[in-house]
Amino acid sequence: MIRTEEMTISMGPQHPATHGVLRFIVKTDGEVLHEVKPDVGYLHRSMEKIAEKVGYISFQPYTDRIDYVCAMTCNHAYAMAVEKAAGISAPERAEYLRVIASELNRISSHLIMAGVMAMDIGAFTPFIHAIRERETVNDLFEMLCGARLTYNYVRIGGVSFDAPANFKEKCVEFLNHFEPIIDEFNRLISFNKIYVERLANVGVVSREDAIAYNLVGPNLRGSGVRFDVRKDIPYSIYPKIDFNVPVGIGEAGKVGDCYDRYMIRIREMKESCKIVRQALEQMPEGEIMAKVPRKIKPPVTEVYSRCESARGDMGFYLVSDGTDKPYRLKIRTGSFSAMSIVEKIAPGLMIADLVAFISSLDVVAPEVDR
Amino acid sequence: MDYFKNIFESAATVFEGLTITASHMFRKPITIQYPDRTLSPVIEMLPSRYRGFLEVDMKICTGCTLCMQACPIQCINIEIAKKTPSPQPSPSRGEGDGGGVPMRLITKFNIDIALCMFCGLCTEPCPTGAIRFSKRFENATEDINKLMFKFVEEGKPVAPYKKSSG
Amino acid sequence: MIQQLSLLFPMLPMWLVQAIWCGVVAVLLLTFFSLFAGPVSWLERRIAGRIMSRIGPNRVGPQGIIQWLADGVKNFLKEDLIPRDADKILFRFAPYPVFLGVTLTLVTLPFSSLLIGADLNVGLLYIVGAWGLVVIGLIAAGWSSNNKWTLLGGMRSAAQMISYEIPLVLSLLVVVLMSGSLSLQTIISSQGASPVEWFIFSNPFAFIAFVIFMISAVAEGNRTPFDLPEAESELVAGYNTEYSGMRFLFFFFAEWGNLYVIGALAASLFLGGWQIPAGWRNFASAQGPILPHVFEVLMFQLKTWIWVLLIIQLRWTLPRLRVDQLMKVSWKYLTPFAFVSIVGTGLWMVVFPEGWLFMKYLLLFSMLAVIGYFVWRAIWQLRFTKSKADFKLIV
Repeated sequence: MIRTEEMTISMGPQHPATHGVLRFIVKTDGEVLHEVKPDVGYLHRSMEKIAEKVGYISFQPYTDRIDYVCAMTCNHAYAMAVEKAAGISAPERAEYLRVIASELNRISSHLIMAGVMAMDIGAFTPFIHAIRERETVNDLFEMLCGARLTYNYVRIGGVSFDAPANFKEKCVEFLNHFEPIIDEFNRLISFNKIYVERLANVGVVSREDAIAYNLVGPNLRGSGVRFDVRKDIPYSIYPKIDFNVPVGIGEAGKVGDCYDRYMIRIREMKESCKIVRQALEQMPEGEIMAKVPRKIKPPVTEVYSRCESARGDMGFYLVSDGTDKPYRLKIRTGSFSAMSIVEKIAPGLMIADLVAFISSLDVVAPEVDR
Repeated sequence: MDYFKNIFESAATVFEGLTITASHMFRKPITIQYPDRTLSPVIEMLPSRYRGFLEVDMKICTGCTLCMQACPIQCINIEIAKKTPSPQPSPSRGEGDGGGVPMRLITKFNIDIALCMFCGLCTEPCPTGAIRFSKRFENATEDINKLMFKFVEEGKPVAPYKKSSG
Repeated sequence: MIQQLSLLFPMLPMWLVQAIWCGVVAVLLLTFFSLFAGPVSWLERRIAGRIMSRIGPNRVGPQGIIQWLADGVKNFLKEDLIPRDADKILFRFAPYPVFLGVTLTLVTLPFSSLLIGADLNVGLLYIVGAWGLVVIGLIAAGWSSNNKWTLLGGMRSAAQMISYEIPLVLSLLVVVLMSGSLSLQTIISSQGASPVEWFIFSNPFAFIAFVIFMISAVAEGNRTPFDLPEAESELVAGYNTEYSGMRFLFFFFAEWGNLYVIGALAASLFLGGWQIPAGWRNFASAQGPILPHVFEVLMFQLKTWIWVLLIIQLRWTLPRLRVDQLMKVSWKYLTPFAFVSIVGTGLWMVVFPEGWLFMKYLLLFSMLAVIGYFVWRAIWQLRFTKSKADFKLIV
């Protein structure tokens, strides 16, 4: 058996395929990988420590920066945690607006993932098409709260702005425009034979591994586990809304391969469209902000709130000591646990597969490091 | 038979993709040619809630420093001086203001836009709406000190706004 | 031509006339090459822009048409960086074989019945051989940069070029079989102006050979879906990661020049090259000696540009293959089919020495049907999202 000399390559932090600043220490003998070690921490901004310094209300804009691709759900999860601790309950209209914003943001986040996935596989056009649609979502958000990326829209006790007068029409117009675009996107890239061949049977994460490595969200569902925080630990107004949770069925290869994880996102976009439509229909009139004191002082307590972000189960564990600043805030994110499985799955893949595998996990660098 | 199925599928899906890209050649581009070839100036296209640079209307600022306290990153810097006015009444204020009563004066109101994260927390507690977002967003500069917006000129302190007097 | 020239200048020795003539032809071809590669880079970016709902470069000159000049000047002015630990001689040398490999092929490309650098009697063999030089440059660039990513890119390009050379040459053999010559002019002359006289429609196996030729030529040209050597999302930029300035430009010159070579080869080998219908020729000959050649050049350019545009569009549509799939496509699909088409063409020529007109028309009309379906489908795609695509972006 001929063995060639292994070479160690540092993939990242400045590598086009490592979305942001991830680093992988790759041992390879050419194309096939022998060992991959993720090296995280290049984007560590000590979010949790900042929370202990700035207080409950002032931390809200920081939650945008945890996962800037899907900031609304981070806002939402944090607001829920504080509300749970302080015993505040948001008005119903605010809950509807939160869900609409979160689902629109899930669409835009999944668009990024689908586009970046295609770009990592080598097709540039789908990426730009996805970005084009995302711009429309951003326009809607700009109309809603004035920002395009870091919204700071969901606040403790409600939301910061009521929907503008023509928001509902614009939303419906967008959804009507967007649903055919998903089909076009599928015809352009998702069903392309080269694309399917590149993703099917690559980076198969078994059901057991997915649970053992604590994968969450679409990555977990891609492995065939039907778990969605929105359905299983319902929060906000999700119980009132009818939607499906797509699960990986191995349509092109084995259950839990990259293609499954990719298609889950495509399907979730359609489900999100459904949710937004229903929420827009059901949205009642009323207040958008509960009475919140200027300085929130929750009683001495510990709470954990979970929220289904675009990258899965997002958790905020909050320890309060009765002052206006949290004693400890632990943020639990999907990308961090997704990074841990790279080391297990990657050996045996090729370099091109590793790129596909990482982007199929939809890792966002700031969410890994926080 | 997978062999021929593969060939057929490849040809069919590549063909499909080509039709889509071909159809896109006959669609209008959606790009906005910022900054000089837009239909109307970009600033007019922005929605009313747009969060641009912060601006402060010093005429109605009460000097309450609530915005400074709300800011999570301390990019707003307000200094209030307590000052006993000189015996002769100031020309701007009415004569009744004077006397020996100490008067608050805003001597410094700086916003470090380089630091600002445009979260909007400062605009919410403001009692008079003096601090608010403008729609301006273009201020690229080589000197970071130019991003320190000074709303009170040095040496020209501003008297805070009082409800009773206006 | 050379004899006529030496008669014109009787005082000069024969070898000098020959050398001057070579120099003139070389300068002309190189000028043509750069005048093609530059604008086509602009064209590609414009097409890519439209495909992606963008605009593309439109600031330099009317509609950005001289963007390529601006880019060229910019690249000239850039510092020519050489990494400290690079193999400096090889690093400096590497872009030239790539450039040379593509430009050398231009010598035997027949632009019209007269305009040809040299009508070699082994023209096809020469083209394949010259094209092979590209791989030397790519490996040299990958190795000499002393960067692991470029090394991987260089290795990939070696593997790719070598394995795609085989189906490429085999598919060319089909043409050689039908025309009985390696000279490009003879190959073109043995076809006719009407589509049914083209080699591509002469029998089903030749059609397969054409498809194989296109696929493997795209792979030779390192274009998507076979752009593995410079896979930007995997290998940073592949073999040209460490290059900058003019040397970097040379690689891209070669890439866009390759487009023309592929298109021209497809046009001249399978689509009848510069052949124009007899009616046109008679009309043009009546006007003077130059007009027929103008028509021929235009016809040749038309056929070439169809394939150039198709390859550009393919690039902005398709994702990239993986290394093992690349090999699989070459060895499991293209090479066997290339052999089938050689054997099939041989048998066909034995069974139908004069050709079978019905099959020619059948192939022609099925091709036209595919093109028609393509147009219909593209319009359908336009309709599918058109009514909703007018969604106003600025709320």
